[in-house]
Amino acid sequence: MKLKDKVAIVTGAGQGIGRAIALGLAREGASVVAADINEQQAKAVAAEIEKAGSPSIACQTDVSKTDSVEKLEVQVLQHFGRVDILVNNAGIYPVCPVTEMTKEIWDRVVDTNLGGNFNCSRAVVPHMRSAKAGRIICVSSTVGYKGAKNGAHYAASKAGIIGFVKALAWELAPDQITVNAICPGITDTAQPRGHRSEEELFSQAQNIPMGRIGRPEDMVGPVVFLAGDAASYITGQALMVTGGGFMF
Amino acid sequence: MRNVNSVAIVTGGANGIGRAVALRLAAANFLVELVDLEKDKAEKVKTEIVTAGGQAEAYGIDATDERQVKIVIADVTRRHGRVDAIANIAGGTVYLKRIEELTWEEWKADLDRNLKATFLFCREVAPIMIGQGNGRIVNTASNYGLTGSALRTPYSAAKAAIIGFSKSLALELAPFGVAVNIIAPGPTDTPRVLAKSTVEARQRWRDRIPMQRTAQPAEIAEGVAFLVGPESGYMTGQTLHVNGGLVMS
Repeated sequence: MKLKDKVAIVTGAGQGIGRAIALGLAREGASVVAADINEQQAKAVAAEIEKAGSPSIACQTDVSKTDSVEKLEVQVLQHFGRVDILVNNAGIYPVCPVTEMTKEIWDRVVDTNLGGNFNCSRAVVPHMRSAKAGRIICVSSTVGYKGAKNGAHYAASKAGIIGFVKALAWELAPDQITVNAICPGITDTAQPRGHRSEEELFSQAQNIPMGRIGRPEDMVGPVVFLAGDAASYITGQALMVTGGGFMF
Repeated sequence: MRNVNSVAIVTGGANGIGRAVALRLAAANFLVELVDLEKDKAEKVKTEIVTAGGQAEAYGIDATDERQVKIVIADVTRRHGRVDAIANIAGGTVYLKRIEELTWEEWKADLDRNLKATFLFCREVAPIMIGQGNGRIVNTASNYGLTGSALRTPYSAAKAAIIGFSKSLALELAPFGVAVNIIAPGPTDTPRVLAKSTVEARQRWRDRIPMQRTAQPAEIAEGVAFLVGPESGYMTGQTLHVNGGLVMS
């Protein structure tokens, strides 16, 4: 087990990629804080982890709200007394052309996807600094590099994460705390189904050299690797987990 | 002796990063085929692996010699019937010269040592991996392949070329279940580097690296182990930078 005795926070852990990461970190021995805006889903994931034999708690968290993230921080410290790994995964993608995009929609996406990375990272960094160790892993997207129709807010937020990751990597490197990103390509979750039919979703496989779209489980290995001791000298990087669909 | 699950070839396996990769893959239950110009040192690494309960074989060949590469791969497949992974670590540079001082032969030598050796081994193992329906190839670039480096024009060109080559090969082999990725080490404390760099030069490096230290060969080996292991199953054509933040891709 690669993450024995570590405490990990996963945001957006209630479903999709976040859920897979939460379960995957627990399989490697980590205690997992499943944070999600949807309390029911967070609780279900925490229960699943507990049932599999790892300690877990659920937190109802809106990562775009400072007070909500402060509450998360307090709960984590009360329960586990420390935090070794933060996976900033929570994100939303309400597709919308720029001409129809209200400032409210823009703000909601950027505040959640990018602002959530800021809020959660700021909350855990002091604890990681005093431990002189820590891993922050942010879930960006290939859309942050390529853009996507009707996704200007999402693309901006995901590209913003890359800049944030690199800057924070510089800031925390002297304390041997690493900050990296993974960039999934199109993945079999609820998110792309918001604007794609089943047929459209799976037909994307024809653009992917490995011949299939991503699965949440595909993202787990790279996150476990970055979270573990094996990645001690890797910081400021973005791993494309795309089946070759996007090479960088 | 442990039961090995798979066969991995490690070129340049006798020294430095290659040796660390060989030891790491042996620990991950690969039977390691060490390929190196220095047969005696490869034998020593083999002994090290076997003593630790692993399995290894050593070949002393020039990785830029087409005929010798073919012979080694034919021998490995004859004995084991498969090649699950290859880490093309052999490479490096011996030149630190201004362009007007470089001869064509020196340029060629650096390109061959890095790019040609990588090409030759990939060409020989690709059909085997296609036949198996799976396989992992890891080629070695360098932060210099992205940033360039004064006085290292041939080496930087070769390392950048390895990235382009590997991405193309990744596209070519993905339909057959074969992944091709790239490891890009930053400054690493290998015996060769330690022997030729001054204390001041090493301090200058540390000042430029966000993590304020250079890499241990074992840290590069962990990256290679990730790229040949199941955790990176949905990654191909990617460059993994293990450089303490020196270059952020």
